[in-house]
Amino acid sequence: MSDNMVKIIIDDVEYEVPAGMNVVDAAKWHASNDIPVFCYHPKMEPVGMCRMCLVEMGTLQRNPETGAVMTDEDGNPLVRWFPKLQTACTQVATDGMVFRTNTQAVVDARENVLEFLLTSHPLDCPICDKGGECPLQNLTMAHGPGESRMNFSDKMKLDKHVPLGDLIFLDEERCIQCGRCVRFQDELVGDDVLAFHERGRTLQIITNSDPGFDTYFSGNTTDICPVGALTTADFRFGARPWELTEVPSIDPHDAAGSNISLSVRLDRDFGGRAMIKRVMPRQNEYVNELWISDKARFGHHFTRSEDRLQKPVVDGKDSDWATAISTIAGLLEGADGDIAAIAGSGMSNEDLFALRSLVTANGGKRLGAWPTTHTGADLVAAVGVGVGTNLSDLGAGDAVLIVASDLEEEVPIWRLRLKGAHDRGAYVVVANARKTRMDDFASATPRYQAGKAAHWLDGIDKADPEVAKALKAAQNLVIVAGAEGLTLDGSRALMQSAANFLIDSGHYGKANNGLMSPLPGPNGMGLHYVGFTPEVTADIAQNPPKVLIVAQAEILSDDPYARAWLDKVETIISLNLFPDAVADMAAIALPIQSFAERDGTFTNGERRVQRFYTAQGPMGDALPAWQALSRISEHMGQGKAKASAAAVMVMMSNELPAFEGMRYRELSRTERQFPDISGDDMYYGGTAYQNKGGLGKVIPTTAEQGETPARADVSLPPVLEVGKGQFVVLPATRLYNLESTFRPSTLVHPRIMSPFVEVNAADAARLDINNGDVVEVKLPDVSVRVRASVNGGAPEGALVLPRHLTDDPTPMTVAVGEIAKV
Amino acid sequence: MNIIKGFATTFKHLREESITLQYPEQVRPFQERFKGRHHLRRYDNGLEKCIGCSLCSAACPADAIWVEAAENNDEQRFSPGERYAKTYEINMLRCIFCGYCEDACPTQAIELGHEHQMSFTDRRDSIFTKEMLIDAVPEGGQPTPQKVEAGAFDRAIPDMPDPK
Repeated sequence: MSDNMVKIIIDDVEYEVPAGMNVVDAAKWHASNDIPVFCYHPKMEPVGMCRMCLVEMGTLQRNPETGAVMTDEDGNPLVRWFPKLQTACTQVATDGMVFRTNTQAVVDARENVLEFLLTSHPLDCPICDKGGECPLQNLTMAHGPGESRMNFSDKMKLDKHVPLGDLIFLDEERCIQCGRCVRFQDELVGDDVLAFHERGRTLQIITNSDPGFDTYFSGNTTDICPVGALTTADFRFGARPWELTEVPSIDPHDAAGSNISLSVRLDRDFGGRAMIKRVMPRQNEYVNELWISDKARFGHHFTRSEDRLQKPVVDGKDSDWATAISTIAGLLEGADGDIAAIAGSGMSNEDLFALRSLVTANGGKRLGAWPTTHTGADLVAAVGVGVGTNLSDLGAGDAVLIVASDLEEEVPIWRLRLKGAHDRGAYVVVANARKTRMDDFASATPRYQAGKAAHWLDGIDKADPEVAKALKAAQNLVIVAGAEGLTLDGSRALMQSAANFLIDSGHYGKANNGLMSPLPGPNGMGLHYVGFTPEVTADIAQNPPKVLIVAQAEILSDDPYARAWLDKVETIISLNLFPDAVADMAAIALPIQSFAERDGTFTNGERRVQRFYTAQGPMGDALPAWQALSRISEHMGQGKAKASAAAVMVMMSNELPAFEGMRYRELSRTERQFPDISGDDMYYGGTAYQNKGGLGKVIPTTAEQGETPARADVSLPPVLEVGKGQFVVLPATRLYNLESTFRPSTLVHPRIMSPFVEVNAADAARLDINNGDVVEVKLPDVSVRVRASVNGGAPEGALVLPRHLTDDPTPMTVAVGEIAKV
Repeated sequence: MNIIKGFATTFKHLREESITLQYPEQVRPFQERFKGRHHLRRYDNGLEKCIGCSLCSAACPADAIWVEAAENNDEQRFSPGERYAKTYEINMLRCIFCGYCEDACPTQAIELGHEHQMSFTDRRDSIFTKEMLIDAVPEGGQPTPQKVEAGAFDRAIPDMPDPK
């Protein structure tokens, strides 16, 4: 880096900054000089629209012969000043630049810009959601004129309540037309659903999509809005920013593990307990930068849903913990070691460890992971992306392969960041049987036959030699391998093929190289590291144990075929947030706390162990799962119950090599991150960017620990036999669905698609099915009535049937079925 | 001599009118600036002046005020603009009657009146709710929530004279 450094002078002090760095950023990062901005955002291209960052700029005068800087008699360098003020945000640092940010001319310019902005900005700060964390307010206080020469009664009167879609409201009066929202959607997301309408004084932000503001990232525009023009329907008037307590947490919905901040306040309607008022992003440049998906932002209502299980249920009756624990102890003792557990990925690492300890101490060996759609976490642990990986570093010369995953629906933050990699010049390949959103940001989109992802990747050298060559030649290569359209065996084969590919080309064991998987839920990798695997779940289904502990795995809501084998289990002990169908079957159902009510850690898809903290008041008698489980252990004389999640982690870091050194204090370390967006200045809107909860710590891959990963033969799953009139039915994931952790967010319900099946146009024509017709999809033992959608989303001979849109489950893995018009 | 001087003072004061009042039968008149119990004011048409902005609560040095806001519309209008106070509570045990809330209020919704007889025997009674604090609906006004003409009350802050 040092050979790229240049010297610039800001307010008579010389600084060494990287060449080409934006001057606003350079002044802030290197000189701690806050040049005020409205339209500029370090994550976006500068436009120089707001004129707030005007500074005096000049260049050092040099002797044309020697190149030496010329000086006056006192030895001060001579500067050739530009005749007019320049916008700092549109300048990049080059050698010999000189800036002055505190002269009278600059002060006057700022005053004038603010005075002019305020000619039509309403003075309704008292009711504005941004009031208190508003860049316009802050900069007016810091740089404003104090008095206006304009007539207050002349202000524009515009509509103050314009819904942009179901989630975001626009106050036209407050908008200062900086265009941050428009540019965010356009540049960073690639969903250009916002636009400027009209010109001059009548210019307004409009949405041009149907439904309005149709994107999974809309909430971020409210954060970057420098005024209160954009507000979320969720938070609207929920509290004033200074009344909120920011609690660091982790998005509990997907494998990205986005760092979030839960803004909580005591609430009268919630019995005086602390309640989550809004969810804001928390800066972690390795994980989610400054952005979160709308599911993370608006999907928090399940934590305080009235439907939550609030008391332990023993034999169908409400009971208490003492009874439940002694009953469970009796059941486990009577099981004679025939005990197994299935855990979902909503369980924290500590919960999983407590469950593992309980099961193994009582003679059980089988620890299953749920759902049984994705596997290969062991390969991610072996040849996953190296320590120090940052998807934002991927650019020209690098390559990304996304295979068998609809990333926008599965892990939207990864899709956002990989879209950025594509923009920076990375070679992005999206391989799938069908068209997915990520295709729009791909350099190549090879297609394989439905259900044959592993076959394709295993034989990529023949199938797509050019793609294979480009991927192998890349400087850095990241493979994101999902499991869409695969069985569990197929997922294993695909992951192994991906690992083999990486091993062959040498793209593993270092930063920005390796394997990632969009495992469902927030802690898919944690399941692996604590020893829970989906293959064992398949084994449990084959040979049901006497006692089965089902922890946060909604087996019956996910899998239509599970009841058959669950019925054969003698005793089920359920731990869940909600009284689901498994809890109904269970002898004992224990209420456990959601991520918001207690602290713990999740391991994200990039193997980063991250802490979340206690935010919300508890629901009923629910306990953290680790606490409930270790109390059972204590009751059975298997060690004293741990007092805190931190203590469980200490024990875990001693026993499990993967978690070595993962003490809570280590995990809560933070560092200064670029862009330096959080802190006292608040130019960029919102108070919750600042990361005080820790950046987490990545578990190194075994390849990085010196183990040479071995290639293994891929055992390709048998090809599905599709008879005449039959179709391959591909289960797909929708981000907004009716899973129990999202259903209570009624605000987003208008955005949840009504149940549908995607049919290929040629097939639809043959079967006389039109877009919108009600059809029946018949699968072995299951049939669902849904609407047909003929929109080019399904390859010929295949049906795409999204999961979790209907009340009854549809198959989790690829199957063969029929379709008929009703 | 000294004793005569002393008694002279005593007799002089004996002749003066007594200033002791027989409270509570007799009540001393208040100065206009006296700060007693808070009132939440209404506009003449009955709409609440309070817009639930929480600035009183922010200004309160004793942390005595608790405000929770909610959204308003023309169908169910409590106050002008989009925001109104869903919950408004003052803990009179905490309140030090400094009047900062009055100063902070952008709509002059909260005013400290002259009422000062606020004793209670249960701590919980010290919390005065919105129902207890708000003025009665003035004559000719409507109780809230009101159904109002669309767009008639869409500004939260009343038009101010030019503050210059």
